[in-house]
Parts: sequence; C-alpha cells; structure tokens
Amino acid sequence: MAFDEAFDVLVIGGGHAGCEAASASARLGASTALVTLNLDLIGQMSCNPAVGGIAKGHLVREIDALGGIMARVIDRTGIQFRLLNRSRGPAVQSPRAQADRALYRLEMRTTLENTPNLSLRQGMVMDLLIANKRVRGVVMQDGRSISASAIVIAAGTFLNGLIHTGRQTYTAGRAGEPASIELAAALKRLGFPVGRLKTGTPPRLDGRTINWDAFQSQQADERPVAFSFSTDKIEQPQIDCYIGYTTADVHEAIRKNLHESPLYSGQIKGVGPRYCPSIEDKVVKFADKDRHQLFLEPEGHDTNEVYLNGFSTSLPPGLQQELVRMIPGLGAANIIRPGYAIEYDYVDPRELGPDLQVRSIAGLFHAGQINGTTGYEEAACQGLLAGINAALMVQGRPHFGLRRDESYIGVLVDDLITQGVDEPYRIFTSRAEYRLALRHDNADERLSKYGREIGLVGDGEWERFNQRRDRIARIKGSLETTRIRKSDSAYAALSEKTALNGIDSLTLADLAKRPGISSSIILQLIPLESRASASLEEVEFALADNLYSGYIKSQESVIHRLHAHDTLPIPTGLDFRTLNGLSHEMAERLQRAKPVTFGAARRIPGLTPAALATLLVNVSTAS
Amino acid sequence: MDTIVAVSTPPGRSAIAVVRLSGPQSLAILRVLVQEEQFAPEPNRVTLKKLLAESSPDLIDEALVTYFQSPHSFTGEDMVEISCHGSPVILRQLIDLIQCQEARLAEPGEFTLRACRNGKMNLSQAEAIRDLINAQTQAAAAQAKRQLRGELSEALQPSKQELIRVIVTLESAVEFVEDDLPAVQVKEMSKVLGRVTSHLARLAETYQAGRLLREGLRVTIVGRPNVGKSSLFNKLVRTERAIVTDIAGTTRDSLTEATSLQGIPVSLTDTAGFREAGDKIEAIGIERTRRAMADADLLIVVVDGSCSLQDEDVEVLKEAREHSFIIAISKGDLPRVLTLDGQLNGTEVVHVSAMTGEGVPDLTAAILKPFGSDSGSVDLLITDSRHYDLLTRARSNLERASRSMAQSAGEEIVLADLHNALKLLGAITGETTSEDILSEIFATFCIGK
Repeated sequence: MAFDEAFDVLVIGGGHAGCEAASASARLGASTALVTLNLDLIGQMSCNPAVGGIAKGHLVREIDALGGIMARVIDRTGIQFRLLNRSRGPAVQSPRAQADRALYRLEMRTTLENTPNLSLRQGMVMDLLIANKRVRGVVMQDGRSISASAIVIAAGTFLNGLIHTGRQTYTAGRAGEPASIELAAALKRLGFPVGRLKTGTPPRLDGRTINWDAFQSQQADERPVAFSFSTDKIEQPQIDCYIGYTTADVHEAIRKNLHESPLYSGQIKGVGPRYCPSIEDKVVKFADKDRHQLFLEPEGHDTNEVYLNGFSTSLPPGLQQELVRMIPGLGAANIIRPGYAIEYDYVDPRELGPDLQVRSIAGLFHAGQINGTTGYEEAACQGLLAGINAALMVQGRPHFGLRRDESYIGVLVDDLITQGVDEPYRIFTSRAEYRLALRHDNADERLSKYGREIGLVGDGEWERFNQRRDRIARIKGSLETTRIRKSDSAYAALSEKTALNGIDSLTLADLAKRPGISSSIILQLIPLESRASASLEEVEFALADNLYSGYIKSQESVIHRLHAHDTLPIPTGLDFRTLNGLSHEMAERLQRAKPVTFGAARRIPGLTPAALATLLVNVSTAS
Repeated sequence: MDTIVAVSTPPGRSAIAVVRLSGPQSLAILRVLVQEEQFAPEPNRVTLKKLLAESSPDLIDEALVTYFQSPHSFTGEDMVEISCHGSPVILRQLIDLIQCQEARLAEPGEFTLRACRNGKMNLSQAEAIRDLINAQTQAAAAQAKRQLRGELSEALQPSKQELIRVIVTLESAVEFVEDDLPAVQVKEMSKVLGRVTSHLARLAETYQAGRLLREGLRVTIVGRPNVGKSSLFNKLVRTERAIVTDIAGTTRDSLTEATSLQGIPVSLTDTAGFREAGDKIEAIGIERTRRAMADADLLIVVVDGSCSLQDEDVEVLKEAREHSFIIAISKGDLPRVLTLDGQLNGTEVVHVSAMTGEGVPDLTAAILKPFGSDSGSVDLLITDSRHYDLLTRARSNLERASRSMAQSAGEEIVLADLHNALKLLGAITGETTSEDILSEIFATFCIGK
C-alpha cells in the first residue's frame, strides 16, 4: 500500500501523554508525527488547571530528571506555586502549581513546534494498519494514510467518549470536541479487553459575578519551588486562590434531585474515581458532613473564567446554576461552562509490558487514560516512557523501564501492568514502598543518569546536575565533619533552641536531628567554603538524606526479607499452563497477568502461597 | 541475600541435632558463637568447638562445626553446619543467639530454593524438591485449617484493624493535605498503638509455653535423699515405676518416664538425692542428677514437711535457683513440722502427700501454670518459631513508631515503621495491600476536590 507520508513514530493525541511522547521520540532522533484533532488545543487541560500535588508533583520532577518537558512548561506558565506539606517531612512534600490554562497550551505548542524531527498533523485517526503482528501505519478520516514503525496511542477521554449532563447524553471527546469512535472500534476489533471508566468536571464561573469577599484567600508561596531542575526562577506573577464551603441547604437540594443525576439513575455504567468524587457522591456517601470544601481557581491572567474545584457534577445545567447560587458568595454567580461527566473506553493495561508496548503487537504503545489512569502527570510520565521506547524500538536499542524502588513512575507502571485497574488510577505516595527514598527533590539524583544515557538530557542540564550533586556532597561532608563544641560561641544560643544536655560536642548531622533545629540554622553553621555556593534548598536536601538514612536501611531489610526473590526475572513468553504443579486457576491468573518478574507475580491478587512457591522453584531453576 | 538459619533435624529431643546457616554472614556468626574473631576453619573439615553465650563465658554446648565455602556447599552460598546435642534447651539458646546476629529463620524449603537459584540442582532434582515444598506448604495449610494459624490470624485481627486505622489516619493526613480532614489526634493514636503493642507482646510471650506444649515439658524432681521424690514420681506417673524404700539413697540413677498431665505431654525424671557422695556409684548418680537439672524446663524441689529444713535442703535450693523451679513439701500425711507457706520469693510452694494423694492436683496445677487459664487473657499459644519471630519484630517496629510519635517525628517516619509492622503481621494473617489502605481511606474520609 502506498502511504501519503512516512514517519518512524506516530503519536495519536496531543494531550499531556501525547506531547511528552512526541517530544521524547523526536529528540531521540526518530522522525515523529503528532496527530491531533485540533492543533489549537495541544496541551489543553481538560479539567483542573493545575499541575502537581502530593505524589503527582513527584512524577513531574521525575519527568524532568529524565528529560521530559512538562516541568519546564508549567514553570513558565504557573500562576500559583505552592509546596504542599511544607510543614511535614521532606519525603511527602510535593510541588503544585496552578496554570494559566491558555498560556500552558501555547507554551506546549511552541515547545513542540520548535522540536526538530517533530511534525504536527491535524486530523482524526480512523484505523490502525497492522500486518504480521506489527504496526504499519494509520488511516485518517480525510483519507490520508501515514506509515510508522511505532505508534503511541494517547487518545485520552476521546476513545468512544460519551458526555452526560442530567439525562442528556452525546458523544464527545471533551465538551465541544468530537469523540474518536472509529479508533475505539478498531481497538475492539484487535481483540483487546476494553472497559469503561468515567470522570467528571465542575462548572466554570464568570469571575465578575463572584462575591470574592465571602471567600478566604490562599496565597502562593513566597519562595516558589519550581518543577524543573533547570529552572532558576519563576517569572509569572502569582495570583491568589479562594476557599469556600457548600452548606447543608445545598446538600439537601442535591439529595432531592438525585433522580436527575446520571450517576444515580444507572445511566452511567463506567466506574469513576473514588478520590475525585462528584458533589452528588460526596453528599450521598458522607451524609453526616454539613459542608464540603470548594476552591475558586482563576483560570489565567487574561480571563474571568473561574474553576469551581470540588463541585464536579453531571446534574442538568439548569440545576447546576441553581445549586451554585445557593453557595455563600456565589448568590449572583453565572456558570459559563456547565460541569459534566464523561465515559470513555480504556484497554486493560495488563496487555502491556514495562515499556508500555502492547505485548501482542510489535510497535504499538499505549499511554495515559487508555491505560485506565487519570491525571495529567500520570498521563505525561507514561507518554514520556512510551515515546522513549517507541524511538528506542525503531532504532533497535534495548527498551527502557524503571523499577518501583527508584521512581514513582516505576510504581505506576508496575501497578498498571500487573494489577490492572478497576477505577481510574491515580498515583499516591502510599503506593510506593520506598516512599522515604523517593523525594521530589532527589528525582535528578535518582533518574538523570538514565535520561543522560538515553539521550534526552543535554550537556547543559547534565553539567548543572553534576555541579548540584557536588555541592550537596560537600554539604553532606560538612554535616558529618563539622562539630559544635561546648567552647564554641554558637553553643549557648543553640542550647536555647534545643536541649543539648551539656554534651561536649556533636556533629551538625546529629544536631539537625534534634527538635527545634531548622535547616537555616544548620546552613549558618556550615563552614564558609562549603556554604558559599550552597542554597538553603540544597542544605534541606542533604538533611533529608541524613534524616531518612537509618529508616531507609531498616525498611529495606524488612522488604528484602519478605520479598527476597522479587527481582527474579520470569522468561518472556513463558506459558504458565505448562508448569507442573500449578492448578488450572492459578495458571490462568498468571497467564492473564504475564508477570515479568517474581515480584510482579507476587502482587497478582488471588495467587496462593503454594502457587507462588511452585512458580519460584520453576523460575529459579530456569534462570 | 540475607543469612538464614534452621534446625535441620526433626523437632523434639534427640541425641544429635543439626543447625544450618546459609548466606554471606554464616562464618561471621560462627565466629561470634565460638567467640574467636579470627576463627578460620578449613572448609569441609569438622572441628570440635565450644559454643558460648554472647559476651559471656557461659557454655551452651560443645559441638562439631563445619564451614562450607561458597560455591562448594548445598545451597551454593557460604554455609555453616553445627552438630550439637539434641536438647531443646540447647537448640533454643543457640537459635535465639544466632537470630540476634544478622540471620533470620528460614522459610520452609528456603535452603532448597537457594540451592536451585545457585544452580546446585538440575531440573529433575528440583521437580522432586518442588513436590516437597508443595507438601510442606500443604501441611502448613492443613495446620492452618486445623486450628493454629487460623486461630492466631483471628486473634490478630482486632490488633491489625486498629493498626490499619492508625495508618489510614496518618496516610490521609499526608496524602490529602488539601482536603478538609479532621485533625490527627496524636494522643488517641499513641493509646491505640500502645494497646496493639501490648497485645502482640502478650501473644509473643506465650511462645515459651507454646513451644513446651509441642515439644513436651521436661520436669525433674530433685531433693536431698529420702524426702519422698520417688513416691511423688510414682504418684505423678500413676505407676509404681520407681523403687520406694525408707532407706536414704535408694534411687541411684535418674529415671525418666513419659506421662501426660491434663493432656500436656510431660517427661518426668526422678533423680538420686543430693548429698556428699558415699561411694563411686552414688557420685555418678549425683552427677547425672545435675545433668538432668540442666536439661529440665522445670524442677520440683522436694523437701520433707515432717522435719525442719536441713543444710542439704538449702544446698539443693541454692542449686535450683539457677533454673525455674517449684517447691513440693512432702509427707503431708505426717504431722507438719516445716512451714514455708504460700510463695517464697515468687516461687510456688505446694503441700503434697504421695501417700494420700492430697495436694497432687495443686502440684499438677503448679507444674502447668505456664499453660493455665489463670495466666491471663491469652488462651492461644504460639508454637511456631516463625510466628514468634514475626510477632517480635512487628512489636519492635511498633515500639519504634510510638517513640517517633512521642518525639513529634514526621508522619512518614512513623508510617515507615507501622507499614513494616503491618507487613510482618501480614505474613501471618495475609497481606494488606496499599490498595486496601486506600480503600479504607476513601471509605472513611471524603476525599477529593
């Protein structure tokens, strides 16, 4: 067949997964095309105009350490930066930034347009061309055909999307945009196990009709923490957000109108996320709460549009308007875009390998909501991984994967491909066994080496990383070697801050572990030659390593004890049904999940200890 | 790879028992046992060594030790084999000591697994071994069904639920900082953790009794000559097994008889009376008495109630103090001269008459006190050393979590220990996944903007 155009890698979808995939693939030297329905909506934030948050912020910093683009784009377009959990331990702190929705989109498009080897194409993919279990290309709605050796599907909620508001339903990928019906049908024809998920979004308000005084303001951090390790300064002017609450009257009105909700009438079949419930769900499931928190988030510098975070709903638009006006401070507020729920198709991610390539079709990669995840950050990191692996595959290089003990990305991918999903999957810090070791501020130390090896981390960033590492190493050295003695002038002042109990001398590392000693106190005590080039943030880094080192070691020993064989590889293509001693049911469970390591097998729900022992002996012997 | 240890011979009493270590720390641990930092045994050669209690000159046993150097061993790793006397007391001491070093108890079949992994076995050998592991797993499963594991798991459930509740509260505080959640009640949580910790501690403490239950309780009767040891022995074993006369020193050799007291297996030993040896035979008899004392879980010191306390009685009591013991005041059918009522420094004292049987139920109760229903709220006994190990480790994790909490450490640090504890309990009750915890969070709190 004659193709109109030919590329190495073709990415379907211009959302957060698609952008990372296309950028990574092109920068690795593969000729890459990004096909999207509307070039003006590349990098569009369909829901909340914000990036990061607990665990999600970790993902963004990992993306940056590997050489992805999301962190840089949000750093240039974020209008309210806050480090969440600032008062808590460093391992659970995470950056979050509210974006100027329009600026983010433009910045992302500019970034892609300036990427060599990357071509943008507007259009809708109708079908995948596959021969001999290998991708060949795609056919578009307008009749064009494009050949590619690797395809990344990152179609988001567009796959068979169906929007609900009240009893009204219509097919759409997002409000005002068409759904990808034919591509969804093509995936079903390929025999993939396809399921339905649901997500929702709240109404957007006209900021001029809000009584802002009725809300409590929430300010940006004075010292914004950037997402990218190569950002020196956040330049965007910072804005305030506002916090308010629903009332019991609002809840009562919702309860009275539940029959209007497609969620409760049985009209919606897809499963929604429990951690992002609609206001209907909150009112029903937590009936004893007399108020629910709301955030008013301005969508940008040059717009009056305001995002009503916490009020996701699929009730009829007229009713939404009535309910909004019952909220204190929103008595005169006008909705400019109603909230809605959307159902969409996803493909069981257990079809994928750790490189996010579909196991049964060479060159086909899935990233983002097609894998059952939710969230821009979750999508972006999968896009990055899929884009990297698509390019590596085309270039005949070995594939790239990450482990659970070194990254949140590794946790996410491993969860997806071994456990599958039964609701939209979101990352949480509690999903990571090695949480104390996986801090947002050490993502570069964990992952930059991989980004460099693959070829996404350039000379400048690499140099920057090495210098930072050296500075931190010097600080760590000073923490261990600098001693505070009773005879020192600082001693008396310090003993007012914390109980030193007349100790003759102690190292800065030990001093830092005492209550009442802040990182800025430590910074002042570090000898000048190490302090000169160090920032407070780098001192905090060194102190965090110091704080957790003992715990990480003992935690590792427990995990190691219980999971000693987790890294043992299981040969690819192993037919579990041929193993002696496995019951039919156990063999089927394994066959379905196709674990690639013993650890992955151990996490498959429902496997008996006997089945695991049998598997262990078999794979131990085989290796 | 960590270092594992196990008793490779069947449980119970035997002439010789073999303890095996496998893993990189094997030789280092052996050096600790023999208290020789430079001990460098020639591989595959048997050496006779004294095994000593940690940092003390106390002899545990004299044993044959063999070092196998990686890869020339059964598992392919560094290994040490210790052949010692097959006394449960010795083995218990030895295993406890080894576990205090960098070693843990092996899982069933783990030595074989390591052998497989290191290519020390071919496929067909492994097939046979796999059946063995299956059999072991099935035996374990059967045992679980029968009672113990199931019961233990059930007994742990309330504690586990409380622990999960604390984890859920702390995780929510960390994970959903932007949600409108109730403030964490540190005081309340420390209380809950304290409760959980002491429950685990109580369960772990039953291990001693549980182990005795499985291996049988070894009880030795001692005392100066002619206080009525043999009469009491006969009464307890319910036969005229020992010769009883009124001639002091009739019993010249130790005599052991298996019996059961209220269904609990007891191995009862009658011994030659303690006194200055009159002849060579008696001297050997008394030496054997000492050995029987050393090997006993419990001593019954018999003193004659019909006369006052003799110097020889005091001597016996002095020797008994090294062990756990109870005092039986015998000849209750004769006019009582000696009174040692109630408890003597915490030692149980029972008046008994072998002639009339009076006081025998009291004596039985005193012997079985560690199993008795009056020992507290825990009826369940831990018999599996692996369970004991897991409970003890879970407990120490919880203790550390409580300490961190008291020092206002971050939630993530407290949680690290709590998750460890939960994982260890999970090895008994079944794993709690992070998904389970998240489900619990979403069911408890209204999360989500």
